[in-house]
Amino acid sequence: MSDSSNKNDSGQVNKSMMDKKRKYALLIEAHSQDLYKYALWLCKDKAMAEDVMQEAFLRAWKSLDSLREAKAAKGWLFTIFRREHARQFERKQFDYKDVEQMDTIADDSHLGYDDSPEAFALRNALSKLHKDYREPLEMQVLGGFSCDEIAAILDISSSAVMTRLFRARKKMRQSLGHESMPQLELVGE
Amino acid sequence: MNSVEFKRLALSDPYSENEDFIRKSQKCAESKQLLRDIKNMDHELSKSLDVSVPESLLAKIQLNQLLDDEEIGRDSRKTIWRYSTAACLAIALFVGGFLFNNFFTSNHPIADDYQALLAGVVEHMDEVLVTPVWNPQRANQSANMHLANYDGAMKLKFLKNLQFSRLCPMGEYRGLHAGLDTPHGHVTFAYIKGDKVEDIIDAVYKGYTTRVKPLKNGNLVIVSKTKSGLDQADKQLDEALYWDL
Repeated sequence: MSDSSNKNDSGQVNKSMMDKKRKYALLIEAHSQDLYKYALWLCKDKAMAEDVMQEAFLRAWKSLDSLREAKAAKGWLFTIFRREHARQFERKQFDYKDVEQMDTIADDSHLGYDDSPEAFALRNALSKLHKDYREPLEMQVLGGFSCDEIAAILDISSSAVMTRLFRARKKMRQSLGHESMPQLELVGE
Repeated sequence: MNSVEFKRLALSDPYSENEDFIRKSQKCAESKQLLRDIKNMDHELSKSLDVSVPESLLAKIQLNQLLDDEEIGRDSRKTIWRYSTAACLAIALFVGGFLFNNFFTSNHPIADDYQALLAGVVEHMDEVLVTPVWNPQRANQSANMHLANYDGAMKLKFLKNLQFSRLCPMGEYRGLHAGLDTPHGHVTFAYIKGDKVEDIIDAVYKGYTTRVKPLKNGNLVIVSKTKSGLDQADKQLDEALYWDL
């Protein structure tokens, strides 16, 4: 093989590496904010959120070649993140059951959230939702995903996503007093 | 789209681009208000969860990528090195095997070709300069060691005039090459394993008096400038060389 073809090959390798690094930098720039927001809410712990984020981004870097469309980048990244979160969650065995069983969430202002009573009430209402309803709502509100994208990430049908979103918002509104709670009627009255 | 359907869609996907949905949200004041409330709740919820990404986290993410990059570089260099080493080793084994089979084994049939054997020894003797070992003790130790390596059963009794010994390639053969200092001059002898000649063959070759005789697993070749030197060496070796049965 001649010197010039060797140079061309190494030039192409360098160029593709440059492209990959650029793509990765853009990915971080475009989605790190949403992902961190989602991560912190999911982990309820800054250190763990950062750990999972780092690991998820590293995995994303390693498999960046499999990402073909810019449009799919966010969903792809969230999927990697969710898997990583599940892995770390299993490893760390945080006692989240207790958190879920509580009527209200503990003071979470130390995480950097808005500490106004309205904001707290919203977070409280969200955390009280069942996981099945909460998850699609978090993805829509925090990630800005469409129903089809959520369906793909959660691996359920679009209609199931819509049903869950409907129930989630309805319960949220009831919890916040925007909608009346269904009343039990006494028989005979 | 009626109000119930509108509410259902508004709660499940307030950002729907369904035409009926959009039209209803524009025409019906109640629906418009409901959609505004829902979107407002989403917005407020998102705002309540707003946090800024720590700069150190972004730096850590970039750093992880750089470190991974370097690790991949190191791994690929290691892989190249491993493949190169394996390739070199394979070539060395191949060449070693080839050389061993072609130059260091001596199982060629020579019954009808003793001349090749003789020529190999004589030419080697002429080509290679040897340094005599004047300490017979050391010379005998060395000869016995070489002989044990070459043919484990063969032994050599102490020869006070043994000058040197070495395992050498000699033409197509390989064997023990040694020298004796006799009153009639220097005598070279070689023990080479392989097919044995049937009888003792005396010949003059390139001005040397030579003898090829069968010995245990091969042949003994004796080369001398004089007939008397050859006879003396032959007599000595006849008594000195023996083997375990």
